[in-house]
Amino acid sequence: MDFALPDDLLALQRAVRDFAQREIAPVAVELDREPRFPRATLRKMGEMGLLGILTPEAYGGLGLGYLAYAVLLEEIAAADAAHATIASVTNGMPQSLILTHGSAAQRDRWLPRLAAGDAIGAFCLSEPHAGSDAAALRTRARRVDGGYRLDGSKAWITSGGEADLYLVLAKTDPEAGARGITAFVLERDTPGLSFGAPERKLGQHAAITTSVRFDDAFVPEDQRLGEEGQGFVMAMSALDGGRVGIAAQALGIARAAFAAAARHAEEREAFGRPIREFQGVGFKLADMATRIEAARLLTHRAAWLLDRGTQATKEVSMAKLAASEAAVFVCDAAVQVFGGYGYSADYPVERYLRDARVTTLYEGTSEIQRVVIARQIHRETAR
Amino acid sequence: MIIATYVKHVPDAEARLAADGGRIAVDDHAYALDGMDEYGVEAAVRLKEAGLADEVVALAIGPARSEAALRTALALGADRAVLLETDDDLDPLAQAGPLAEATRACGAELLLVGGKQADWDSAALGPAVAEALGWPVCDWTTELRLEGREVAAVHDVDDGSEAWSASLPVVVTTQQGLNEPRYPTLPNIMKAKRKPLERRPLTATARVVTLAAALPSRARRGVRLEGDAATVASELARRLRDEAKVL
Repeated sequence: MDFALPDDLLALQRAVRDFAQREIAPVAVELDREPRFPRATLRKMGEMGLLGILTPEAYGGLGLGYLAYAVLLEEIAAADAAHATIASVTNGMPQSLILTHGSAAQRDRWLPRLAAGDAIGAFCLSEPHAGSDAAALRTRARRVDGGYRLDGSKAWITSGGEADLYLVLAKTDPEAGARGITAFVLERDTPGLSFGAPERKLGQHAAITTSVRFDDAFVPEDQRLGEEGQGFVMAMSALDGGRVGIAAQALGIARAAFAAAARHAEEREAFGRPIREFQGVGFKLADMATRIEAARLLTHRAAWLLDRGTQATKEVSMAKLAASEAAVFVCDAAVQVFGGYGYSADYPVERYLRDARVTTLYEGTSEIQRVVIARQIHRETAR
Repeated sequence: MIIATYVKHVPDAEARLAADGGRIAVDDHAYALDGMDEYGVEAAVRLKEAGLADEVVALAIGPARSEAALRTALALGADRAVLLETDDDLDPLAQAGPLAEATRACGAELLLVGGKQADWDSAALGPAVAEALGWPVCDWTTELRLEGREVAAVHDVDDGSEAWSASLPVVVTTQQGLNEPRYPTLPNIMKAKRKPLERRPLTATARVVTLAAALPSRARRGVRLEGDAATVASELARRLRDEAKVL
């Protein structure tokens, strides 16, 4: 058993750490205060190869596995969570579903643009009334001559209005429940496609989130991904990879918050000594470090299982649950270690806490992860 | 025209150092391509991209782990790499001969070397290898142009900067300001694994023998001034003027 990352991956990790700390970290505070979609840094991330990590080299990606994906995404998130969110969305569903379900023509048409970062991808599943219960979505796709017409609206779409390609799930057969859902790829300039104003959020302000509307939007038949009715199943089958990404992102935020807290505890003195010497602070740091380490081991193992092609739904949900809860715990504890300074926007930890909070919500809430884990336990037990 | 660019695998500036039994101990993963040499790699790659050079060869002297520094140079755009492998700590003068030989062997007419080596802060290697080659050397270079076989450079001297020119072959030592080295992108790091890297065993005798090494102990030099604001301010001003001499 070897817990060390392979040397090749360590070299990539080091390159991405340097890149992220030099190019992304310095703009994080400004983007939090004056939110805008970070085009300049996304361009550089595309050149680095960070927007097509999993997509095969033949389509201009890096062709790496989920372990590498987790390691590299953690580095981005440690510099800025919003960049990690945008990266994980465009790296994730749009590219993995086009790769696994797209025709050769569709793969050639969209994957090189996405993998190079020339196009940013968005994934449109959630609706105002369909979050965790995604199969309840109402966006309708009606068959017309030469394609489909879409009507309805989507909610919480990362990179809404900014992304170039939108992978959209819509009902082609409202009677068929989850099996009546079909996937489509839309370009941003599609007539009838429009976007709401950016949501005002607790954190991750630069990861622009909007609603997306379809008003009689025409989608040619060759922009349907897979067969009619396959959309939901294909999206669910790709969820595991996305959840590993969120786990890795949570780890990155937690790591940054922990590093800030540990440094502060060395430097800050009270009653004549560094505050780390007080057990109230020292124990906190010990708990923070332990939670991060445990979550990282779960995350790397879940990613490793995915890379081996093993069914890992339970392990992925455990990693996502543990890492996102650890991130909120660690960031909250970091604020406590900083004391009053932790509450001030002049120090980074309040931002880490705000950025981390959403990790227990998106890609399945902590409650949904527990539902998934419990269901898998039942399946293993009742067999 | 072939350019050789020397790279050294040195402890990362952020690496934790420990002195263990009279030796400096550093984790293998805490090493990186010397930042001073990176300017040379970048300069070489830019000359090649401008069509002024045909091939860029990265050369390293050191233990097996130095391959990582060469792979970085390959990821930055060098075409091939040669590692003169030795586990001995060779001082710059002991390295100069083998480096000169390797430079000649690859047919290079321009050798780029970091202005100093980050690990022991020696600035001797560039001039020493120039001496061994019998080539002119331009040290601490901040501008480098190549027109035909003429090298035009600007480099730092004690009282400012100086224009420098010579015909190939030459040795140029590099430093901050020469260029802004690019990042190795992930696709290029992955491609670098497939570029040719030749290892040759090196036997050379060090002229400098390290008897023991220890980390300098750092004393905290912060001073806390006590008193009311006016007293503290005037004491601070006095110290800045009379002791630190910055005012």
